[in-house]
Amino acid sequence: MVRPVVVEELLKVQNLTKRFGAVAANDGVSLDVRKGEIHCLFGENGAGKSTLSACLYGYYRADSGEIVFKGKTAELNSPADALRLGIGMVHQHFVLVSNFTVLENIIVGSSDVGVFLNKSEARRKVVALCQECGIDIDLDREIWQLSVGEQQWVEILKALYFGAELLILDEPTAVLTPQQSDQLFRIISGMRSRGLSIILISHKLREVMQSDRVTILRKGKVVATVETAGSTAEAITALMVGHKVTKHVRDRTVTPAGDFLSVRNVCAKGDWAEDVLKDVSFDIAKHEVLGLAGVAGNGQKELFEVLMGVRAASSGGFSLDGEAIVAPTSREMLDRGVGFVPDDRFREGLIPEFGTAENLVLGWQRAPEYRRGPFLDRRKLGVLARKKIEEFKVVTASAELPVERLSGGNAQRVILAREFLHARGLLLANQPTRGLDVAASEFVYEKILEKRAAGFAVLLASEELDDLLRLCDRIAVIFKGRIMGIVRPEETSLLDLGMMMAGDAKEPERTVQ
Amino acid sequence: MISVQRRSGSSLSWNVACYSAAMICAFLTSAALLAFSGGDPAKAFSALLTGAFGSQNALYGSLAKATPLLLVGLGTVIAFRAKIWNIGQEGQVFAGAMAAYWMSLWVAPLPYWLAWLLIAIAGLVGGGVLGLLAGYLKVRFGTSEVISTVMLNYIVIYILAYLLDGGPWMESGLTVAYHQSSPVNPLLEWPILLGQGSGKMHIGFILALAAAAFCAVLLEKTSLGYEIRAFGSNPTALRFRGTNIRRLLLVVMLLSGALAGLAGAGELFGTSHRLRAETLLGIGSSGIVVAMVGGLRPSGVMLAALFFGALKSGAIYMRLKSGTPAGLVSAMEGLVLLFFLCAAVATKLQLVRVEEKVHA
Repeated sequence: MVRPVVVEELLKVQNLTKRFGAVAANDGVSLDVRKGEIHCLFGENGAGKSTLSACLYGYYRADSGEIVFKGKTAELNSPADALRLGIGMVHQHFVLVSNFTVLENIIVGSSDVGVFLNKSEARRKVVALCQECGIDIDLDREIWQLSVGEQQWVEILKALYFGAELLILDEPTAVLTPQQSDQLFRIISGMRSRGLSIILISHKLREVMQSDRVTILRKGKVVATVETAGSTAEAITALMVGHKVTKHVRDRTVTPAGDFLSVRNVCAKGDWAEDVLKDVSFDIAKHEVLGLAGVAGNGQKELFEVLMGVRAASSGGFSLDGEAIVAPTSREMLDRGVGFVPDDRFREGLIPEFGTAENLVLGWQRAPEYRRGPFLDRRKLGVLARKKIEEFKVVTASAELPVERLSGGNAQRVILAREFLHARGLLLANQPTRGLDVAASEFVYEKILEKRAAGFAVLLASEELDDLLRLCDRIAVIFKGRIMGIVRPEETSLLDLGMMMAGDAKEPERTVQ
Repeated sequence: MISVQRRSGSSLSWNVACYSAAMICAFLTSAALLAFSGGDPAKAFSALLTGAFGSQNALYGSLAKATPLLLVGLGTVIAFRAKIWNIGQEGQVFAGAMAAYWMSLWVAPLPYWLAWLLIAIAGLVGGGVLGLLAGYLKVRFGTSEVISTVMLNYIVIYILAYLLDGGPWMESGLTVAYHQSSPVNPLLEWPILLGQGSGKMHIGFILALAAAAFCAVLLEKTSLGYEIRAFGSNPTALRFRGTNIRRLLLVVMLLSGALAGLAGAGELFGTSHRLRAETLLGIGSSGIVVAMVGGLRPSGVMLAALFFGALKSGAIYMRLKSGTPAGLVSAMEGLVLLFFLCAAVATKLQLVRVEEKVHA
């Protein structure tokens, strides 16, 4: 008797459907994950990646379909069920107790912890795990002393300690420097060689290409599952969006001229009076996009807040179009024509319960152009909203539908529409493409480059270094509140940027304008 | 299997069903409560209805009772829509009545319309200033308005106690035991529009209706209303977008307190004609209930105020006729609130039939 070659399947999803109201977030999804493979889930925003992983981890109950784990139908009613079976998940936002040690965080909540912690036994187990996966971490340090990358290792160790055989990583590199990402991938491949399976959710091509197989989702359906080795980045992207994506590049025939924003020696305190900005200086000219590269949490947010007038500089200051700005308020900055795209769009940029129409005039609700006597001109708002919804391709049921019901990408389009409508001269964009897929990101970049062409000065902070390199005239790197250097894309590499982002004092040739 | 899910839109028929169910539940539990306390529910309810709607005068009496509830309810709506938890309406009602009373001691020589206007303004200012004080404490020191407004209630009520019990406003020629002021100058009483005897509806009702229209327009049509609603949804974004949210908070507390203060002034000059704590107690807290039952919308508050006004007015008759204890009426008010809040949650849900999973 001839035995067929059996590839050992750890997880098999058959015809899984999950609906939210009329929308099918997952529509008949089938997929299998083999033992010892890195399997990537790839797709645009709203393609159904997160919903699928939430079903696999027991957050959502699928409406129909079947999940088979290790040959048995899995009843996943809660994450606890998933953990018991051996499915672990590491979220984008870590769930760690910051004043507990690494070891305590790993073992907290595990079933073999009784009333008294048996730490020595647990320690032996964790040390063994670390060795297996090649993770080098001090188990007695407290979480708050760790870098973001190390915190992520703790999350991974926690899942493995709980006996996970399948680990789901939800956009794990969103908060990491390129070097940290490389380390993470070394750890992941170490885990693979121990026979663990990994589901990697990502929309970064570079990461996708490091997986064994990739399942591409589009609009809730599986488009294809391909062996990564036998495919190309272009082919996979084309499968994801269903068409070819043009990558925008800045127009080099337009050259920056005449400083518009001049920031001089700005220092600022954070919410706990810690120093968050130290002696920050830079200029942005008209027709110029200045990139701001850095790992999240190194002072970018506070820099934008200072420039927007919502955080006071403790010393130093800035001028706009030659005019010194003294003790600014957000009102003054808006009135001076500054457009602002905040990184936390639902918290800082939108009124979640308001519809697109009302959000389009947030900050301008008292402007005469939107009023009729003492009243807001609803009709005018409606007309404006319909125009902008079309122009910015916002997917919404109506101009009145609360924006909290829009996807992240569509919510971002509402903000962009508002800022591009009202800004004159300076555009401040903090992580405008965070969480957006390739096509949506390109749309944002296209709009930003349009403003550059129109003579705007643009400050663009992003974690997508490849994008900064092709879009920006110059790139400033920020680390722990200090500008480590300002470089030109054509004279710098990804590696250089990564080194500077990690605080390497060995700066590449510093270009001064 | 039936599962409960969040509803994506809202449906009128489902809303009506939910609130009708809430009414029926409140009615049934109230009846049970009446029966338990030894009363005859049928008799009590019929007395309640007669007292509320049985005659023209009863009807006017219900409208009079609804007047302060509507004003306080509207003030509550303004604050709660901004998610500013002003729950100091009791004190603001008192402050409004006290300020109006104080004003009435000075304005008698003036033409009636001017005196009337000054008294009404004093009521607005009295309540408004008290609200503003709580707002200032929040803006300046970060004091929670929940704590400060409630604490201010006590302060104001004890100031009134001082003024009436041996203080300058004690009714002349009487002992402390009455805890009341002399009657207000009859020339300054607010005009009675309808009714006589026990059921009189004063001009405050018209003011309250006007205030309802004002609040509806303010919230839905003006830039300030936009900011109030935006503050309730996301104050951070509003601050990032150029609005001075401290000033906005002060404005909201001022407006909210002023409406409660006007209720106090109206109650004093339209109904009781004597400054006395008992006639004012409970208006503030009932007004909050009215705002919640009315779904924090001026139109809803109007309906709720009429309902609770009728309940309060009918309750007096019910107590006389069927001997039900006074506390039961407050209990019924509480039950209505409870079931309406449940209904408000239920309107956001829907029941969906889910197919059973078949396991191999």
